[in-house]
Amino acid sequence: MDLSLTPEQEMLKTAVRRFVQQEYPKETLLQIASPTEPTPTEPWERLTQTGWLGILIPTEYGGEGGTFTDAGVLFEELGRGPVPGPHLSSSVLAALTLLEGGTDEQKREWLPRMATGEVRMVAAVTEADYGWLEGDVRLTAKQNGNGYTLNGAKAYVYDGETATHLLCAARSEQRNEVGLVIVPANDPGIKTRHLPGFAWNLSEIAIENVSADSFQVLGGVLAGGWEALEKAEQKAIPVLCAYQVGGSQAIYELSVDYSRTRHQFGTPIGRFQRVQDQIINLLNALDAARWTAYEALWKLDIGRESADSVHLAKAVGSEGYYEACNFAHEVHAGVGSMTEYGLTLHTAASRTLYHYLGDPKFHRHRLADALGL
Amino acid sequence: MDFEPQYTPEQEEFRQEVKAWMKDNVPPGIVHPADPIDLTEEQYQLRRDFGRRLGAKGWLWATAETEYGGGGLDVEHAIVLEEEAEAAGLTIPPFYDSGGRLGGASIVVWGSDEQKKFFLPPIFKGEVRTWQLLSEPEAGSDLANVKSTAVKDGDDYIINGQKVFVGSSLGCDYMWTLTVTDTEAKRHENLGWFMIPSDLPGITVQPMDLLISGGESGAGSGVKNTVFFDNVRVPAFNLIGGHNQGWKVATTHLELEHGTGGKISRNVVVDKLFDYCRTNNRRGEPISKDSDAREKLIDVHIEQEIVRLLQLRNYWMRHSGVTTTYEGPQASYLRKTLGLKMSRHILDILGPAALTFDPKLGASEGHMEAHSRAGIIAIHPGGTTDIQKVIMSRRIGIGREVREKAGALS
Ligand SMILES: Cc1cc2nc3c(=O)[nH]c(=O)nc-3n(C[C@H](O)[C@H](O)[C@H](O)COP(=O)(O)OP(=O)(O)OC[C@H]3O[C@@H](n4cnc5c(N)ncnc54)[C@H](O)[C@@H]3O)c2cc1C
Repeated sequence: MDLSLTPEQEMLKTAVRRFVQQEYPKETLLQIASPTEPTPTEPWERLTQTGWLGILIPTEYGGEGGTFTDAGVLFEELGRGPVPGPHLSSSVLAALTLLEGGTDEQKREWLPRMATGEVRMVAAVTEADYGWLEGDVRLTAKQNGNGYTLNGAKAYVYDGETATHLLCAARSEQRNEVGLVIVPANDPGIKTRHLPGFAWNLSEIAIENVSADSFQVLGGVLAGGWEALEKAEQKAIPVLCAYQVGGSQAIYELSVDYSRTRHQFGTPIGRFQRVQDQIINLLNALDAARWTAYEALWKLDIGRESADSVHLAKAVGSEGYYEACNFAHEVHAGVGSMTEYGLTLHTAASRTLYHYLGDPKFHRHRLADALGL
Repeated sequence: MDFEPQYTPEQEEFRQEVKAWMKDNVPPGIVHPADPIDLTEEQYQLRRDFGRRLGAKGWLWATAETEYGGGGLDVEHAIVLEEEAEAAGLTIPPFYDSGGRLGGASIVVWGSDEQKKFFLPPIFKGEVRTWQLLSEPEAGSDLANVKSTAVKDGDDYIINGQKVFVGSSLGCDYMWTLTVTDTEAKRHENLGWFMIPSDLPGITVQPMDLLISGGESGAGSGVKNTVFFDNVRVPAFNLIGGHNQGWKVATTHLELEHGTGGKISRNVVVDKLFDYCRTNNRRGEPISKDSDAREKLIDVHIEQEIVRLLQLRNYWMRHSGVTTTYEGPQASYLRKTLGLKMSRHILDILGPAALTFDPKLGASEGHMEAHSRAGIIAIHPGGTTDIQKVIMSRRIGIGREVREKAGALS
């Protein structure tokens, strides 16, 4: 047994941490999050130049061919920002889906460009009647010669606005099969709308009479597309959990620092046992999320059956990040509610990621299934 | 025991009178933005106007003495008024004001006759809006640690300093505040409590950018501000309770803010959540029929009932003169933790619809999105959850040699 990172992983961790500090300081993250200020594009361009977006893409498709644990290390550091996507949605989830269900031609067409960030492909799965089950997909695909015509609407799509391409879940009218169709996000039949409020990078995507030929259908036929997505999700989820861990780690450090420097009643607030309780609870949530995530990543790396670990990790990870933010808010009180302080960047992220790829309830149910209950 | 107010025939008649009056006087077109920051100047003025009309009848602060512009009515009358305002979709007062409930209460207890006659009638008649200016960068939970100063200069005090997280959007007429009046004196014996007209030279108000500022309804504050005092000259007449007596004056409104006043109105967010779940479907069935959703909704309901009863108890205690000790902070603590817990339940029940005020994909006209932000912020104002526990502990006599007494109310 050895729970340490390899020297290469430690180097990666240090490099990514430095990169995030340099390219995504708090001021930049606040600017990106602001609904009124223009979004700076240079940090993302520099991120694409690092090659890290290809971390899980095999070398034959221009990626780095890294392990899942490597990806965990990378995304944990990105989560500290939290650096906004579409990194995980595209180069992890969509790339893994292509690897699971794409034809050779499709892999060659898309994966190299996803590794460089030139293509940002985002899975558009959920709809207004929200859910991550196959039965929740209503968007219709009507046979049209060799391909399909798509009609419907996707809702609460994470990273939808920044996508160049959508990997759209659709149900065939004739055969009631659910598969995935790749469509360019700038198709005139596609209207993407930002959802305003506390949500972090969610959008609605209306799809009207968008036609796609068979090359755009993942695997060439709709049948089997949903299974490919589910398999890819099982691998992407622990990476997402690592990203949530990075967020919790950052606000843990923030809270500890604050409890040392903020004085009330003539003493650092960290001396108050009630404040200690909040920080201890935060740390417990963090460590629970960390080790459930990394065990699942490890199981994926060695090819062991991992369903139970994956569902465990997402149930614990989503709750953990959510509650970690609450504890941090308790510690900081007024200051934590100020936008400029930066804590609310995590609070917003934790709420949106709570549901992304399934909320804790969903994964608890699936965990019970995996345990044969 | 009787958990319901009993109304005499005279009071029932009063209710009919109030109902009829509300019909004629509630301004049409009042809207209730989910986030009070969206309250427009025009909407605010509608509310102010309605407040003045209530005030003219003595119905704005119904139980305050008539001599000072109140209604001189008993608690049952006040309850009738609150219930009828609620039926008309409003609260009393119908806008954010820290004068009637908190600042005014301190002036009633600690002001001289002259001060009461001068400051109270405009407050109780709804002619002025008043902000509470307590917190400072160095003084949050530790309020007695304020650093702003008031230095005596002839018949005036010169005030300097900075207040944070205070007030509301759309301005005010008066600010009440706590400053150091004696830099040499001991803690708690070094403070002064002032009523300050907001148009005095040297006062600057700067809005703060917070995740959200207010709580449950349109009567919230909208924004919170940083207020700077730069050599603000205030007449000594505006010092309430005397030189170095400010802490004593503050204990009155602090006691009320910590929940001792009680409350009898409903929690609107809970009502809206339940309505939404009854009338909206998921996978072809009302959300309220989903077994997981039901469990969370009942969780919310049970805790809300407990909070309601404790607030009702406190309301009764306050108005029947029963001595309180820990009850105020207890109700505050449970109300705050319910709000926090509820934001997660709402997220579990509604999914990401709880995170947007989008008219199509949000829920309950943005009220659920607003609560997703407010649940986590509303735990701080008026003392954090930790501080409520600290006060409760002192009041029941654990941790300190002597039991601490509750602040004087009237
Ligand atoms: C939305 C909002 C509205 C507000 N409105 C107003 C207003 O209208 N007027 C006004 O004057 N102020 C207002 N405030 C300020 C509010 O009263 C303070 O934020 C609050 O009292 C906490 O102070 P602080 O933020 O400085 O936190 P701190 O006092 O610095 O507390 C930090 C942490 O230390 C803990 N702590 C501190 N002391 C102790 C102790 N003795 N024992 C155990 N734990 C302790 C706290 O619980 C908290 O977890 C508002 C704040 C917010 C967020």
